[in-house]
Amino acid sequence: MDNVAVKPIGVVGLFDSPDALLGAARRFREAGARRWDCHTPYPVHGLDDAMGLKPTRLAWVTIPAAFLGLLAAVALTGGLSVIQYPIRIGGKPLFSWQAFVPIFFELFVLFACVSTMIAIIVFCRLGRWHSPLHDSDVMKHITCDRFAVAVQTGGEGEMSDADVRRILEQCGCSEIRPLVECEE
Amino acid sequence: MMEHADALLPIDVPPPRPARRLAAVAIALMILGAALCALALRNQHDRSCFAVGWLWAFCFVVSISLGSLFFLALHYLTHSIWSVVVKRVADMLAASLWLTPVLFIPVALFVLFPNRFDLFPWLGDHGDHEIHVRREYLNAPFFLARGAACVLLWSAFAWHFVRRSVRQDRADAAKSLASLLRMRAVSAPFMLVFAVTLTAASVDWLMSLEPNWISTMFGVYIFAGFTVTGLATLALATVWLRATGRLPRSLVSDGRLYSFGGLMFAFVSFWGYIAFSQYMLTWYANLPEESFYMVERAGGRWLGVSVALALVRFAIPFLVLLPRRAKMSPRLLVATSLLLIGGQLLDLYWLIARPYHSAGPAIGWQEVGPLLFCVGLLGLFVAWFVSRYPMVAAGDPMMEMSRRFRET
Repeated sequence: MDNVAVKPIGVVGLFDSPDALLGAARRFREAGARRWDCHTPYPVHGLDDAMGLKPTRLAWVTIPAAFLGLLAAVALTGGLSVIQYPIRIGGKPLFSWQAFVPIFFELFVLFACVSTMIAIIVFCRLGRWHSPLHDSDVMKHITCDRFAVAVQTGGEGEMSDADVRRILEQCGCSEIRPLVECEE
Repeated sequence: MMEHADALLPIDVPPPRPARRLAAVAIALMILGAALCALALRNQHDRSCFAVGWLWAFCFVVSISLGSLFFLALHYLTHSIWSVVVKRVADMLAASLWLTPVLFIPVALFVLFPNRFDLFPWLGDHGDHEIHVRREYLNAPFFLARGAACVLLWSAFAWHFVRRSVRQDRADAAKSLASLLRMRAVSAPFMLVFAVTLTAASVDWLMSLEPNWISTMFGVYIFAGFTVTGLATLALATVWLRATGRLPRSLVSDGRLYSFGGLMFAFVSFWGYIAFSQYMLTWYANLPEESFYMVERAGGRWLGVSVALALVRFAIPFLVLLPRRAKMSPRLLVATSLLLIGGQLLDLYWLIARPYHSAGPAIGWQEVGPLLFCVGLLGLFVAWFVSRYPMVAAGDPMMEMSRRFRET
């Protein structure tokens, strides 16, 4: 770890109860925090409202992808059974949509699911080797029994370190740590 | 900031008060409907149309009440928390099952006097072998016994759930809890009884209208539709009760409606899945004794009704309810519910009226009369219930938890 430079980028506060976290989240929303997030071991009801999160943009990926899947299924079934291998089976029409609906449905769902998963990975910037949460040693708490607010400070239009610490203290935070990022 | 842990304020339960406008509209509908029914009884042709209309209206009322009873039993069986605040709405509509033994009497008369009404084709002697071998099941005494057992069992279960629920309003905490545990225990055997009776009823009242036809999916098809209709009516009644101040807005927020929207969306998808599966299996196997049912509904002017059914009961509500915000919007939820209730009427018409209108879908005043009467009766029952009982089940031991529950 000798040649690892540790750069402070903000403050992280650890809470022991979800109610205290909700209170803090409301305060940070009102204070106009910009790059910040809450981390909890399980979904906390009311947190989206408290943080003032906008509705997710995931649907804008899922729906077009789903209908693309539907189109792909129509092309696949139609292309195979009408153009490439026109074989009449059981006296039924070549394009028997009734028989293809399960395929339409499956590809509709498959495209929706896979695209949503990829979009989540991209939106959440997953796939990094480490994050400030690891570097600040809070990951083991927020995946076990504590609730955290991480606020980045010092950037343009962002809150100052002191402001964040003051709000955390007022909200019943049990432990305040610097949020750091390792540079190799 | 610790407000979630604080004790909640006591609920301000709005006292029951009469719904005069609803009662007036309901009575007007009943009088108009009864007059049309009386006119229709005069000659053979009108009487047959009246019988078709009565079966249509009867099944429609059963779909609302039985769908609500299923919702209520599901609520107890799964120990649901979110739905405690709207439990009394389900109580109210499930209690309307008490009307069904009365509404079943004309159906019994259709079977007892086949020459006068000519509704169920298996009653006559057509010399058809297929019908003849079904006689051991489809005969008047057994049919009446099954029908009576169905409506009486449903009424008894509705009595069990609703009477205990309204008594909780005044009981002490220990008694309320004992009552809740008892209802939870009864909800499990109810589900078994419900599955058997609903299947028997749908075969008797709907499938036997074309006695040559068989579909082993028919019971679950009817179940899917009835559940959607029950949920849609519950959502509609909840929004109405909230708008008229009988359900406090602090108790039933727009967020709480989200759960209705979610369940409705799930059962709309389920109906689409079951309806298509039934159709596709019939189409694939292509057996003459099964496929004629779909063929006669996919040809000529009945094709329009079939396509409308797929749009009204599946495609449109599915797309409307897909976004998260649509499930929370009272206006969209009411519009979707009305569409789905209309879809139930269309579905029952599609199932019932085809043999009597082979030239094309048609509807006459003889068929509208029973519908007006039955819907009016249901409206009058609702008006009576809201004037008699508070719409908040304040005595339910789970009420406190339900009030703390959050959807998001």
